[in-house]
Amino acid sequence: MNQREGRKPIMNMKCIVAITGAVLVAAAPVWAHHAFAAEFDAKRPVHLEGTVSKVELINPHAWIHVDVVGPDGKVTSWMVEAGSPNVLLRRGFTKTAVAPGTRVVVEGYQSKDGSLRANGRDITLPDGRKLFLGSSGTGAPYDQKK
Amino acid sequence: MSCRSSVIIVALVMLLTAPLSSQSIPRTPDGHPDLQGIWTNATITPLERPAELAGKPTLTDAEAAQAEKKAAEDLASVDGKSEHPLLAAAGSNGTGGYNILFIDRGSEFARVDGVKRTSLIIDPPDGKVPPFKPGKKPTFEGYGRFDSVKDRPLSERCLLGFGSTSGPPMLPVLYNNNYEIVQTPDHVMILVEMVHDARIIRMNGTHPPPEVRQWLGDSIGHWDGDTLVVDTTNFTSRTRFRGSSENLHVIERFTRVSGDTILYRATIDDPVFTKMWTLEYPFAATKGPIYEYACHEGNYALTDILGGARKSEQK
Repeated sequence: MNQREGRKPIMNMKCIVAITGAVLVAAAPVWAHHAFAAEFDAKRPVHLEGTVSKVELINPHAWIHVDVVGPDGKVTSWMVEAGSPNVLLRRGFTKTAVAPGTRVVVEGYQSKDGSLRANGRDITLPDGRKLFLGSSGTGAPYDQKK
Repeated sequence: MSCRSSVIIVALVMLLTAPLSSQSIPRTPDGHPDLQGIWTNATITPLERPAELAGKPTLTDAEAAQAEKKAAEDLASVDGKSEHPLLAAAGSNGTGGYNILFIDRGSEFARVDGVKRTSLIIDPPDGKVPPFKPGKKPTFEGYGRFDSVKDRPLSERCLLGFGSTSGPPMLPVLYNNNYEIVQTPDHVMILVEMVHDARIIRMNGTHPPPEVRQWLGDSIGHWDGDTLVVDTTNFTSRTRFRGSSENLHVIERFTRVSGDTILYRATIDDPVFTKMWTLEYPFAATKGPIYEYACHEGNYALTDILGGARKSEQK
């Protein structure tokens, strides 16, 4: 094997790393339905532990209602913003997929207007499982096609 | 075996193994290609070719497979991490708004003519949007204002989907990349799942006078052989596509190249750009249904955004 052939795989790997990094960044549009930074306050992270009281599978985003018991025993009701209902439906997630009473842990950011609304950056069940599964092999149309 | 039998068998084999010809695509009773059905344009091929792939318009299958696998793994590994460029680029800016739950953008590069492509743009050959003419780059005046609902972007107001999902030109976005085409001899309708936009294309029509302006522009169509050509003008001044003006003129070509693929091509003609440019990629047949996307039904985001701005003013 000459030197040139010997180098080839390394170049390919470099190329693939570049492709992956480039695609991850470049494929995202600058603006989604709304900019989360305009709705939620990056300086107000919230950590919520509570029970689901209701799931609103509505457009343009689903909202999960969570009752949180404070240290004083007082219950506050938070709303947590989730994904597009159409995407969720394609993954088999319906209004009844998360039963009222299910305990969840939410990491997110509170809305800028100070209401008890947060984005669901990360929603986890107490046993550590994510409330929602990843996007590949989910039964989405693109997956079904293959 | 007789010679005649052999000939018949050979002919049958040739018929069965022949690529789909223009004769074998579905057709409507009037003989035109039938574009009807539900389609998805999800792909991870970006509109513009990334700088790292300059001069590399296509990938081999092996390169593409590895890159697709790694892209999926990388996406999974950044779930919930607000500082990641993908999430920041999608508008999170430190709030981590987009976890994987939100994203359904496909997992493969677009394949055309048997090879996978690294940009949707095919002309200019560098895969980049051409520069603006001097002084024609938009300033996005008022883009960051919060004084009124009307100050906010059309997608936030649920008027149009983001990222030119409805177009024209029609582009893949982060999720809801699904479309339904309904066709009659006089009209073609493209229902866009995102924000439930419907593009109505009048066959062999003429554009209205220039004072008539529409969010999706005015689309008229005609057949060029087996290709549906759609010409769109009369956009509003707020329908901005990559800095386009209200003089945006888009020429689209829809060609059903096989039973499960429409090859889509769009040429962008706007005097703000130094030259015309063209993108091309496939739409793939997919199972339904298209879900309704009644964007106004629970658009808490808009009131939260304006309410947040009022709260900030009080400080």
